[in-house]
Amino acid sequence: MLFLVVSQIINGVVTGMIYALVGVGLTLILGVLNIPNFAHGVLFAFGAYILLSVLQVVGNFWLALLIAPFGVVLLGLLLELVGVRRLYTAHHDYQLLFLFAVALILQETIILIWGPIGTSVLPPAGLQGAVNLGLTVYPKYRLAVMGITAAIVAGTWLFLTRTNVGAIVRAGIENREMVAVLGIDIQKVFALTFGLGAWLAGVAGGLASPIMGLTPSMGFDILPIAFVIVVVAGLGSVPGAILAGILTGVAQSLTTIVFPEAANVVIYLLMGLMILVRPQGLFGKR
Amino acid sequence: MRDRWIFLLIVGVLAVGPFVQREVIATEILIFAVVALANNLILGYTGMLSFGQATFFGVGAYAAGLLTIHAGLPLPVVLAAATVLATGLAVLIGAVCVQRIGLYFIMLTFAFNQMFYFIAYSWTTLTGGEDGLPGVRRPAALADDLTFYVLVALLFLACLLLMKRVVDSPWGRVFRAIRDNEARAAAVGHDVRRYKLLSFTISAAFTGFAGALYSLLYGIVPIDAIHWLRSGDIVFMTLIGGSGHFFGPIIGAAFFIWLSETVSVVWDRWPMILGVVFALVVLFLRGGVVELIRRGHGLVTARGGAATAP
Amino acid sequence: MSALLEVRDVSKSFGAVAAVAGVSLAVTEGRLHSIIGPNGAGKTTLFNCITGEVQPTAGRILYDGRDITGLPPHALPALGIARSFQRTSIFPTLTVAENVWVSAYARRETRGGPVLVPADRVEGVGETVRAALAEVGLAAHAERPAAVLAHGDQRLLDFAIALAARPRLLLLDEPTAGLSRQETQRVIAYIGTLKGRYTIVLIEHKMDVVMTLSDRVSVMYFGRLLAEGTPPEIRGDARVREAYLGKRA
Repeated sequence: MLFLVVSQIINGVVTGMIYALVGVGLTLILGVLNIPNFAHGVLFAFGAYILLSVLQVVGNFWLALLIAPFGVVLLGLLLELVGVRRLYTAHHDYQLLFLFAVALILQETIILIWGPIGTSVLPPAGLQGAVNLGLTVYPKYRLAVMGITAAIVAGTWLFLTRTNVGAIVRAGIENREMVAVLGIDIQKVFALTFGLGAWLAGVAGGLASPIMGLTPSMGFDILPIAFVIVVVAGLGSVPGAILAGILTGVAQSLTTIVFPEAANVVIYLLMGLMILVRPQGLFGKR
Repeated sequence: MRDRWIFLLIVGVLAVGPFVQREVIATEILIFAVVALANNLILGYTGMLSFGQATFFGVGAYAAGLLTIHAGLPLPVVLAAATVLATGLAVLIGAVCVQRIGLYFIMLTFAFNQMFYFIAYSWTTLTGGEDGLPGVRRPAALADDLTFYVLVALLFLACLLLMKRVVDSPWGRVFRAIRDNEARAAAVGHDVRRYKLLSFTISAAFTGFAGALYSLLYGIVPIDAIHWLRSGDIVFMTLIGGSGHFFGPIIGAAFFIWLSETVSVVWDRWPMILGVVFALVVLFLRGGVVELIRRGHGLVTARGGAATAP
Repeated sequence: MSALLEVRDVSKSFGAVAAVAGVSLAVTEGRLHSIIGPNGAGKTTLFNCITGEVQPTAGRILYDGRDITGLPPHALPALGIARSFQRTSIFPTLTVAENVWVSAYARRETRGGPVLVPADRVEGVGETVRAALAEVGLAAHAERPAAVLAHGDQRLLDFAIALAARPRLLLLDEPTAGLSRQETQRVIAYIGTLKGRYTIVLIEHKMDVVMTLSDRVSVMYFGRLLAEGTPPEIRGDARVREAYLGKRA
């Protein structure tokens, strides 16, 4: 039993870290642009599928993981340019509906390009197989994912807190009008944020592919989870999103032990409780 | 009194409907017209975008299906029970969701939708899970598709009139005030959250009722009925018809069902066309078909369209 | 005369910033009491504490002897408190009459009864609406959408919405902000006609507007109450001149 619990907790943390990457991107876009990015899930899916195709060409997982997310960034910037930007003056409902429409289109695009049947990617050579952790035997690749996501999250945090550009993004979350008043080209900040969010989603998709596999619906499956993370985290909060992502992953995998059918339901119950007890979220100010 | 003319026009269209379309398709259009009209109560009139209407549609459908299969209750009782259940659920979900405004409201309705989807998906012994809930039989008197169409058409008219009354009532006016200016509506003494919950609940009641009819139409509750993509479809229908006009969503529902029935037969990837149409509407025609009519009308009468989408 | 509105030692901080620090004042029934101060003096925050938009961090607000601290905004009209907004706040797609109706309906005498009747048939509300529109001189525009009204007319509509709540206490937040000189004159003249009929709290930063209208003036400066008195007293106050007028000279 202890063996099971420990490995499920680690599983939860690994999944949770991937959720966190998706959630951080979503919360940044939400905080700065004030839109729930309905296309965020499908960007995650593209991260996985582009990695699959790049991998077939370059043959090296790490190289593919380095390249693929930039394809997703291009896609994200394209969306920002042709749609979101045109709709800034409209009510934000229309921005998210545009992104929802795009999500439908992109989801079908995945099926057109890569086919309707799911597939999988092998972990990189050297990280296949498991390692003995004493309490449990655990797949090497998943441990590596934990380390990599931690590094990316830390890097994102450093970018936001230690660089001038990052400071502007944070200022955009706190007070958008102020950023405009300071004479900063808010358009560029929006594009940058959208690009960064897309990159995080793309990396998450790539990293997740050897664990979760690839299915055309993977984007639509992760989107509601990412929303839960943002709600639980609090508007625009990066640390909140990380914590909420891990909590979500762990809650899900622990429920699997006792009541597997409820594993997908439990996170929404947690979210509902959160709203009742602390409506502004873990780290939210408003 | 233009509303009266539109109403007469609708009655006319209902009379010829089954001769233009297959009965089941015409029936499905009417069911979704109710859903879209109900969605417009919150979206167009109260200014709340819900991405979780399928929750109530699905719950209404499952409730009606289960009561028909297991309890064998008479149809009016089944419809009433399904509506009450969807309404009660809306009070609970709504009470949580109206705590937060705008973007949060959207994400919360969406997330709760997903939760109920998973419940339906996982609770296979009750709902049939992924395979859907088959065997929902209509009473013998309604077994014929045309007869069922007539019943649904009458119920549609009843729903239409009832919703029109809601919109024209004091509640409807306060809803519109909240949509226009929430802070002001609160400052003159209206409890905005309560009115939002009221609007949300009324909308869900009609949506649940329509879901119940849907389960009887095809004799099965597919799992798709409660998926959040269905909620997206509902928003799509409402907007493409035109959320700025009471009758607009009816056009949207008709267009959507027609599109899905004709295109989905030809091409499996038809949601892509849906996405393209939706994106174009959002970018270029935010008032939906109603705005197109207004613009056309404006050209004819050379007055210029004064279309205002909420 | 007793105080209709009493602010007792109210403070409001946002994080480390104290926007309002220990302000007390009493508004006598039937008077027009202005709160003035340069931009950033905390007037609007104090106003928002009274209207329930924000919760004061400390202190009490009493209305007619009753503690109303922390009541939500929608609870105030029932007590007889109505407000106008700094930026004109109306319902743009509703008609002018519907705008006022929304307020009158919230304060209707008869509750209960059938719900799904046409809005205009709710008893007793129509008269209030007509009276409020006549009062501000917008009766001729009753059926037009509020959005098409001229700026000054919209401000008057904002007043009509407040008056339809049949208040005892009227809270006006910078009623001339953003108006042209001509429109300002019109609004000031109009406020003059309200004087004596309602107890009025007026937030302003334009000195000249306040001095001609007010019975009493409180001056705020950096979140604190700097001085209080009649307009001549305030005009003669050296501290006020230094803090407020001095800056303008």
